[in-house]
Amino acid sequence: MDGPRDSLGYTAACAVSAQGFAEARCLPLLLSSQNADGGWGYSARARSGTEVTSWALMTLHSVREASCDEAALRGLRWLCQAQLPDGSWPAYVGQSTGCWATSLACLALHLQAQSPAAVARGLAWLVKSWPSEGSLWWQLRTRLLGDSSVVRQDSSLRGWGWTPGAASWVEPTSYALIVLHCVAGESRPADADERVRLAEAMLDDRMCPGGGWNSGNPRVYGVAGVPRVGPTVWALLALRHVDANTRRQSSLDWLEGEYPKAGGAGSLSLAHLCLQAYGRPVPPLEPALWALYERNQFLGNLLAFCWAAIALSGKPIFLALGEAKGVGP
Amino acid sequence: MSLRSSALQPPFARPPSTVAIRRASDYQADLTGLISETLCQLGVAVRGKSVLLKPNFVEPDPDGVINTHPAVVSAARESFLLLGAREVKVGEGPGHERDTEAILETIRLRDYLGPLSGVFVDLNLDDVAPIALVTHASSLRELYFPKTVLSADFVVSMPKLKTHHWVGATLSLKNMFGIVPGSCYGWPKNALHWAGITQAILDINATVRPDFAIVDGIVGMEGNGPIQGAAKPCGILVMGDDPVAVDATCARVMGLVPERIDYLKKAGGLLGHLSADKIRQLGESVASVRTPFAVLDAFRGLRDKQHGLAAHAATGFSKLNGLNSDGNP
Repeated sequence: MDGPRDSLGYTAACAVSAQGFAEARCLPLLLSSQNADGGWGYSARARSGTEVTSWALMTLHSVREASCDEAALRGLRWLCQAQLPDGSWPAYVGQSTGCWATSLACLALHLQAQSPAAVARGLAWLVKSWPSEGSLWWQLRTRLLGDSSVVRQDSSLRGWGWTPGAASWVEPTSYALIVLHCVAGESRPADADERVRLAEAMLDDRMCPGGGWNSGNPRVYGVAGVPRVGPTVWALLALRHVDANTRRQSSLDWLEGEYPKAGGAGSLSLAHLCLQAYGRPVPPLEPALWALYERNQFLGNLLAFCWAAIALSGKPIFLALGEAKGVGP
Repeated sequence: MSLRSSALQPPFARPPSTVAIRRASDYQADLTGLISETLCQLGVAVRGKSVLLKPNFVEPDPDGVINTHPAVVSAARESFLLLGAREVKVGEGPGHERDTEAILETIRLRDYLGPLSGVFVDLNLDDVAPIALVTHASSLRELYFPKTVLSADFVVSMPKLKTHHWVGATLSLKNMFGIVPGSCYGWPKNALHWAGITQAILDINATVRPDFAIVDGIVGMEGNGPIQGAAKPCGILVMGDDPVAVDATCARVMGLVPERIDYLKKAGGLLGHLSADKIRQLGESVASVRTPFAVLDAFRGLRDKQHGLAAHAATGFSKLNGLNSDGNP
């Protein structure tokens, strides 16, 4: 007899099997959660979305099991069909404007060596997509109303926003930098280098005073912002091609200190992946993932399962190009 | 900021509102008894209905100052179940932290609610549907909302009693920002800021009308809220079926003039009662629990000097860290 099942339908017996977490939990869930349209939603049976589908594809590519090929093919088809005429990707099919998920869709397609034309159009949109701060209107408004003393940051340094018409934030800027670092050749827009230079400077400017990043306000009303695991991981991964500095070193130190305290599977997996990429010693991930899974089943969040599988694979394919520079232990 | 007045039709019409203020010295008090008794007194009818509790879970915070305390959430859930609700879910979409599981683990929500599967919904990742906004105070014409919110029969906003560094105070109306899905708008939901925070608060609340508000004022936050302020014990819960009246009452308790809080003033002409003479108090009077909150200098103008100074003398307030708690000239 199987015995009682958890909220995702697995029996406790599976938990003590010899299989690793990725094989026992992540892959079965991923394969069983694929929608009929070929995409994935944030949870089983949820509507397909660009971000999750992109991560699901990168996960399947990381584990490289033959059983995943058919699923990957259907996922790639969904992703290509979701692209908007202007080259961007919306969060969900049916939305008329593109968003940050464009970086992830390009990354997923590029890493699977699929649809270079679609990737090129996506990156062209990305490079032309500017955040709203620093625009002419914004400069005029700032001049008329006076400079705000609420947040202290250099608004001439611009990255990418979550959605068009909004400001630069750490995570979407990092996603864009990661894909622009990965893509070379004809798919890479000619004017990408200047965007990369500005965005890297923006990330450095937005680092919290003691190291690490939050969503993008390092100081509000003169008070130092508190860093968070997710944005810190993405910023560090985005900047790993840039020569190290002491502030980045302190961000890695901060992340290393946070790793044992991570309360969520997503944060834990991302921190593990990042520390590994920088060659920092990191405790085994698997026991901590099992423990978190037993408590909340990751709240059924498919993204957390994807990041866990990628971190466990030891092959973060989106970091395949180049090594981190000079910030070892 | 001006609102397009023609977009705010039709104005609301309702009889005077009732707001209950209940004393609760700490989170170990019989909160279920307190809340269920108040719901009965206010004639809340939820038998057979699906209820969604929307607390304010912002960031991992083991000190219990930032987030609605899980003891209050649990007590509210029990109370609505006691009243015959068909189901009571808890849903939140944190604005900065993508790892919702990390927040829930830090505040130990599971210890209070039991297994979270089927009870808690991450509104950032829930399935979404586009909804035309009822009002056009902001430049937004539609927003995507989580289906869990749209399908609930009875929505309860459950904020923490806090100051806020952008809008002065964050209470039940501002708390509804958390229903806007990060999967569409990012972390933070910056598109709302660019559309105008005040205006977006009005549009969201006019479209998804919360049916009830329960404010956790047992320990609030003053100063540089909603994240970096200081704990402010007040020992109260504030409840009512008119969120504007509840927020106005909370502002008065905090020593602020609700008519000077931009979004509250405008909500008073659109969604509910702001004026004290249209609000019947149940339980404690405002005067008996008034506890002036320290505010950032930028919000000194919100303070009710007449009442605030008296209370200031009684509580021995002092100026701290550039914050103004004493209505200096």
